[in-house]
Amino acid sequence: MLSEREHERYKRQIMLFGDAGQACLKKAHIFIAGAGGLGSPVSIYLAVAGVGNLTVVDKDVVDQSNLNRQILHYDRDIGRKKVASAEEKLQAYNPDINIRVIDTTLDETNADRLIGNADGIVDAMDNYPTRYLLNSIAQKKKIPLFHGAIRGFYGQATTIIPEKTACLRCLFPSAPPQEVFPVVGATPGVIGTIQTTEVLKYLLGTGDLLTNRLLIWDGMALHMDEISFERNPSCISCGTGCGASTSRMVASKNKIREKKK
Amino acid sequence: MTVRVRFFARFRELLGTDIMVNAREGIVLSELVKEVASRNQDGYQAIFDDQGVFREFVILMQNGKRIETSAAGTTLVKDGDEIAVFPPVAGG
Repeated sequence: MLSEREHERYKRQIMLFGDAGQACLKKAHIFIAGAGGLGSPVSIYLAVAGVGNLTVVDKDVVDQSNLNRQILHYDRDIGRKKVASAEEKLQAYNPDINIRVIDTTLDETNADRLIGNADGIVDAMDNYPTRYLLNSIAQKKKIPLFHGAIRGFYGQATTIIPEKTACLRCLFPSAPPQEVFPVVGATPGVIGTIQTTEVLKYLLGTGDLLTNRLLIWDGMALHMDEISFERNPSCISCGTGCGASTSRMVASKNKIREKKK
Repeated sequence: MTVRVRFFARFRELLGTDIMVNAREGIVLSELVKEVASRNQDGYQAIFDDQGVFREFVILMQNGKRIETSAAGTTLVKDGDEIAVFPPVAGG
């Protein structure tokens, strides 16, 4: 049930999806992996939309160099834990929702437990090893994964529904090299709000999701392109695991072993 | 025959995009991308390693369908094809 105050707060979107839709958002739980460039717009827009339960995970401390894009954090937060800063801001945006923050690095030992039975996982990470971990857990627990990534003026997004669509590994079997990536804050703004739109549509059961499609944002040319992709039957995450990427992985592992010898 | 090659993200910065190529009949996908990428050394090196093999993370699409880079040496390019080449971006 929505309170009178909530009715007033969400009035303009209840025009779109009614009390029932708003009640769906209120009871939903979304797990947001990362409180940085993407995690900022994602968590802010999910909070103001009234998604009732948000979990935000991050291990970092706010650094001055984060402030050009991580709009959850202010200058006065430098040196503070990102999750403490996030909790304060999100609760101030919307006191009618539950914010749970976790100050940790997601890894194989804790991610499954922390994600629990969330209704959706938002990939707001900055590296592929953790993205692949989120993808595996999403597949195992059959929880949708809302992928986003950025670099400079470029970004990409896709929505993964386990057992129904291709997964992140079908599309990206191998991670690009790690780097300190250049970025302007408007780029995670674009991609983060696309991820948020996807989460809301999924929770409301409306619209066409960005499934089996990779959206590619080019802020320089001001182009948004889309590339269709299919499930890879031999995907190492959602398929048989017999694909070319697996053989490549085995080959490179063997190389490492040989070197050790 | 005419083929459209589209680079994205960092590859686009180095090589441009929406490149219409007059390709010879019988050319395979890996050769086509190599020829187009050769116009800029940094662009070429971003896509291929020292042995001229596709870097592991490069994503190739032919008419919207993913082609494993390991299969690009045997995949024929046809007139009117649209080829997309891009690197996944990683930041958040």
